[in-house]
Order: sequence, then C-alpha cells, then structure tokens
Amino acid sequence: MRVFFSVIALAIAWEVLARSGVFTPFQLPALSAVLGRIWTDAVSGDLWINTALTLYRALVAFAICAIGGVAIGMAMSRNVFANWFFDPIVSVGFPMPKIAFLPVVILWLGVYDVSKITIIVIDAIFPVIAATVIAIQGVERELIWSARNMGASNREVLHQVVLPAALPQILTGLQVALPLSLIVAVVAEMLMGGYGLGGAMMTASRFANSTSVFAGIVEIAVVGYVLVKAMALIRRRLLIWHQEAAAPYTQ
Amino acid sequence: MKDAFIRYLPLLLLAIAWEVIARLELVSGSALPPLSDVVAAGIEMIKDGELVSNGASSLYRAGTGLALAVLIGGVLGIAMAWWKPVNVLLAPIVEIFYPLPKSALIPVTVIWLGFGDGSKILLIFLGCMLPVTIGAFNGARSSEQVLVWSARSMGASRLRMLWDVVVPSAMPELLNGIRTALALSFILLVSSELIVAQKGFGHLIGVLGANGSYDAMYAVVLTVAFLGFAADRIYLQITKRTLAWRD
Amino acid sequence: MAAAQIVIDRVNHLYRPPRGREVLALDQVSLEVANREFVALLGPSGCGKSTLLYLIGGFLPVETGAILIDGQKIAGPGPDRGIVFQHFALFPWKTVRGNILYGLERQGMPKEEREKRAMDFIELVGLAGFEESYPSQLSGGMKQRTAIARTLAFDPKILLMDEPFGALDAQTRGLMQSELLRIWQRTPKTVIFVTHDVQEAVYLADRVAVMSARPGRIKTIVNTKFDKNDPDIFKNKFFVEKVDEIWNLVKDEAIKAQGKRA
Repeated sequence: MRVFFSVIALAIAWEVLARSGVFTPFQLPALSAVLGRIWTDAVSGDLWINTALTLYRALVAFAICAIGGVAIGMAMSRNVFANWFFDPIVSVGFPMPKIAFLPVVILWLGVYDVSKITIIVIDAIFPVIAATVIAIQGVERELIWSARNMGASNREVLHQVVLPAALPQILTGLQVALPLSLIVAVVAEMLMGGYGLGGAMMTASRFANSTSVFAGIVEIAVVGYVLVKAMALIRRRLLIWHQEAAAPYTQ
Repeated sequence: MKDAFIRYLPLLLLAIAWEVIARLELVSGSALPPLSDVVAAGIEMIKDGELVSNGASSLYRAGTGLALAVLIGGVLGIAMAWWKPVNVLLAPIVEIFYPLPKSALIPVTVIWLGFGDGSKILLIFLGCMLPVTIGAFNGARSSEQVLVWSARSMGASRLRMLWDVVVPSAMPELLNGIRTALALSFILLVSSELIVAQKGFGHLIGVLGANGSYDAMYAVVLTVAFLGFAADRIYLQITKRTLAWRD
Repeated sequence: MAAAQIVIDRVNHLYRPPRGREVLALDQVSLEVANREFVALLGPSGCGKSTLLYLIGGFLPVETGAILIDGQKIAGPGPDRGIVFQHFALFPWKTVRGNILYGLERQGMPKEEREKRAMDFIELVGLAGFEESYPSQLSGGMKQRTAIARTLAFDPKILLMDEPFGALDAQTRGLMQSELLRIWQRTPKTVIFVTHDVQEAVYLADRVAVMSARPGRIKTIVNTKFDKNDPDIFKNKFFVEKVDEIWNLVKDEAIKAQGKRA
C-alpha cells in the first residue's frame, strides 16, 4: 500500500519537474507524454509483442535455471564428485560479470533467441544453485533422523523430507533469479537488437526518441514489479505452513 | 595450499579440456580457438597497449561511478536511518527503484550524456547507489539500541553517537551492500560498453568480434571476467580485516 | 529371568568434528534394560547421554562394542525404536495429522486404519481439534505432544526420548511429565529417557543411570521404582531423599563438566 502512495508521489513530482522547465523535454519528457506513448504502443500492439517476447525469453530461461539449478544443487549436496567439480565453477563464476560472455555465446549459437536464453541461464542459474546447496545442507538432521526412524528409505527421505524442508530457501534463490532473468533478457536484447523491450528501447535511443526511451523504462519497471509480486504470491501459497511472512519487497 | 589446489583443480582440468578440444578441432575451428592462442593474443594486446588503454578507460569509469555511489549512497542510507524526515522523503524513491533493472537505464544515460565516459559513470553511479544505500540503512537501523543508550548515558551528543556507535554497527551490512555494488558495477560497465561505447573492455570485445579476431576477443572476455572475480576476492580480504572485531 | 531387551556392551564413541581433534564422547558404556522398563540417562551437559541415545537409535554407527536389541545387533534406524527429540523435529509443512500419519504411511497401513489410528493418538495426547493445524501455529507443549503422538502411533517397542521437555517452560514441563507417566502406565513400553533434571528423572523412571562428565561412563544406577501416583509426590519424603542421593552423585560431575567447558 505504501508503495502505491510512493508511486503517486513520484509521478506527481515527475510531472511537476518536467513541466517546470529545469530540464528540456528531451532530457525529461513529461510523464503525461510518456504515458501517452505507452498508450499508443499498446493500441498499435507493439507493446504486447515486445513485452511478450522479452517475457518469453526471460521465463524460458528462468524455467531452465529453476530445474537445472536445483538439480545441480541437489547433485552437489549428495555426490562428492559433483560437489568437487561444480564448487569452484560456482564460486569463481558467481562474482564474474557473466554478461561479458554474451559475444562468445553469439559466436557459438548465432543471433537468435537461443543465444539470449543461454546467456540468461549462464547468469541466473548461479543464485539457484547456491541457494539449493545451502538449503539442503541446512536441513535439520533431526528431521531426516525422524523420517528414517519411521521407516523411510533414502529416496523417500530425499523427496518427502529434504526437498520440502529445503523449499523456503530454494524459493528465495528463485526469487533472486527471476528479476535477474528479466534484466539479462533486456540487456541481451539491447545488444542484439530486434524486437523485445530492450531492442525497442535501443532503437528509440538511436533515433533520439527520449519519450520512447522513458516509456521503455516504465514498461520494464512494471513488468519487473509484476514478476516480483507474482513470485511472492506463489511463495506465500507454497509456504502457508511457514512461520515467516512472504519475502519482503524491499530487502 | 594443497587444499586450494584440489579445490580449484576442476578449473585446471576444464582449461586443459578446452585446449585439447580446440586443437583437435572437435568444434568448428574459429568458434573455439585454443586456450594457448587466446593467451598469446592477450599478451600481444598487453604489449601493444590496446588492452591496457581500454582497460584503464573501463576501470576509470567503474571506479568513479562506484566511488560516488558508495560515498553518497552510504551517507544517504545512514541519514535515512537516523533522521525520520529524510527517511520519509527518500524511502519511496528507494522502494520504487529497487525492483527496476538498472540496465534499463542504459539508453537513458546515453541520451543524456552520449557515448563517452559520462554516461557510463552516471549509469554505474545510479545503479550502484541502491545496494549501498539499502545496506547502510539496514545496518544503521540495526545498531543495537543498548549500545546507543550506553553512549547517550556517557554524555555523547547525537552526532557523536552517530559516528561512534551507529556507523561502526552499520559496517557489516554496509560492507555487504558495497560488495553487491562492486559486482553490479562490473556488470553495468560491461553491459553498457558492449552496447554502446567507443573505448573500454566491452567496446574492444565488440570490435574484435566484428573483425573475426576471436582469440583476442576471448582474451578480453576472460580478462574482464577474471577482474570481476579478483575484485570480489580482494574486497573480501580487505573487509575481513576491518571486520576483525566481530569475531 | 528373561534376557534384557536392550544390551549395551562396552560401547565407545569417538566424536570427530570437521575441524580440530577427535574427542572421546563415551567410554566403555555398558547397560542393560529390561522389557517395559523406564530408564533415565542422567548427567551434566556434554556427558554423551544424547550420543548414547542416538547410538541405540541407530543414527550413529557403533564402532566399538555392541548394542543388541532382543539379541540382535542393530543395523541403522528403524520403527522398533521410536525417537522423540528435544526440538520436536516435526515436519513443518505437514499438519498435526499429517505428521502423525507419516510413520503409518511408511508402514503401508491401509488408509482407513491409519486415519483412525492417527485420530486415536491425537485424542490420547489431548490435541483433538488441532489436527489440521501446522506446527508453526502450535505452542511448545502442543508441538511436543504432537511429536510424542507421532512416535507412539507407529507402536515402537522401545521409546527413546532426548530431553523432550527441555525446550518447554517450567509449567508446561510439569504437566507434560505427568502426561507422559500416565500414558506410559496405560501402554507400557521400554523407555530410555535422557535428561539433566534430577527431579524429572526420579519422578518418571524405574531406574536412573547417572553418567559421568565427558568422556561419558555410567557412574551409578539408582533404583527409583516406587508409587508415583501421589499428587504431592515432589514433597514426599522418600522422593526428596532419592533426589538428594542422586543429586550428590551428579553434582561432582556437573562441576567437572563446567571446568572442561572453560
């Protein structure tokens, strides 16, 4: 609710500032002009095409990160060899600006969606793996012992106890990976051009169309906000039983 | 020493695998130049100055943007935690910009400041301010009430308390926020330079790629990736000493 | 006389921390427990009493010596030895009913039968009406009752309890102690009960095994089998004398344990 008022306050400040003459319309187009631009794009259909494309790339990559990342994380916690192999890769790779590998990915896979999705996965899979490993290692041993006590097999312990117990933290990792997927999708689009929210913004920038550039920022912000909120909702649903509230919006 | 070797051995093995696969031309020759060629091309570029001059440009931009972000963001964060009116004013801005992908600001900074240093510095400054501000804010807020009261009872003025109690307590979270900002600065630097620049690592990568000098391109990619990693490790080493009192 | 149900024969246990030197936690521990006997393991912190319990439960491997149940060496955890932990170890994503059903599902009990059995135990521990609650919604005492119901439900012949009331406030603890005694008197099982509270041990157990400070050994075994049904038992002269006797045995060990920790 507080966010809602913040948005209104900022919107008013923006409009007033834009009209005040401190900045030129080029430097700071009025909010009304920007919203008008968004409306035009919505009516013409461009907005939906671009948004859908960016979302498609981001979400496909996110799904791969979720499944692959959890799988690798699980393998690392249970298998000494998997842990030995992946640990340095994750540890060294985490702080690297992995976006730098985009030109290499393009070299390998061309200029199509595959490349975009690949670079997103390269970037966003790390927090998922890290969260999964920590989550599984953090499962209380008494939970596992209780299950064994009641006659559960190793497989049953893994699926019926370890994974549910690790779920909250795994979800936190996923909640980091989702907005990350969006950002990388946008950046990849900016570099590679074409359709998509990032590509459209770059085109607008080249044509010095500042209203469209600002429109793009607002659109991406809204998409980002919706994704984060949707993820928080899903988390709340899945973790009804959990003590803490859904992950806070502002960390 | 031996433990570190075993720990990072997979990377060595991957490097060897890279060399072998490339030499055997299992992958189309140009897309994967042998690691040895990449290293050679890298050394060439250091010698003829290309890598260093572009690198200096990049590091200058990132460094300036980050330094500004840390300074201003840190002060703002602590101010927000310490003075209510500041919080009321700035908190909404922080909340709104938190979920915004900072890379979305690349085209705007270009529109405002063109292709050169200015747009990159502004981008990194704006992007990195947020984690620093949030870290400083959370850190300052968590400074234990008891410590503040003790200082108060010993006659400390409000400003003195801020400096002697709140800032040191805020350090761990603030330093963590700066660590995030450090990684973010590299990301924003590379992203913006790949997309639109006339100098710098990202620009160099683009040019080499367009020229077909793939071994040199790989060299620069690895250089910048490694720098990001090294910066993080060095940062951890430095902050470990500052936080020595924690343990 | 029938052979003891549980035989612990000269068991050692080495604790190997990830960093640092190994520590001898248990030293030549021997104990025999008869069928349906209630035995308390009493000792200062760090004396290894919980470790001994985990060894009996099969959660830690027996490396030196042997532990026999009905003449057979144990081979890992199993539903014949049910365990109740101090911090409940309830599955937080399952309701009270779901938690209790888990063990029954593992046994392959048919649906109707296990639903009925679960409800019976929910009523037994006084949690009727809360079967659809999640652990996060329950108080400490209720969580522990759920844990006890969960373990009793799959009918283990031996009950292992690791300071089960240690995490509860003093009043709840008192209530739970008499609850447990009542349940045990109704459906007697062999119980091994770990605690550091002397009064609790004397109140609940038939015999109290006093353990030394680390490395843990069984110092003495005191007989505490008498009529526990007196409502003012804690003031009863005989009870108080027993508590005194055992406290004197434990006192030295407790002091030793403090010294070691510093």
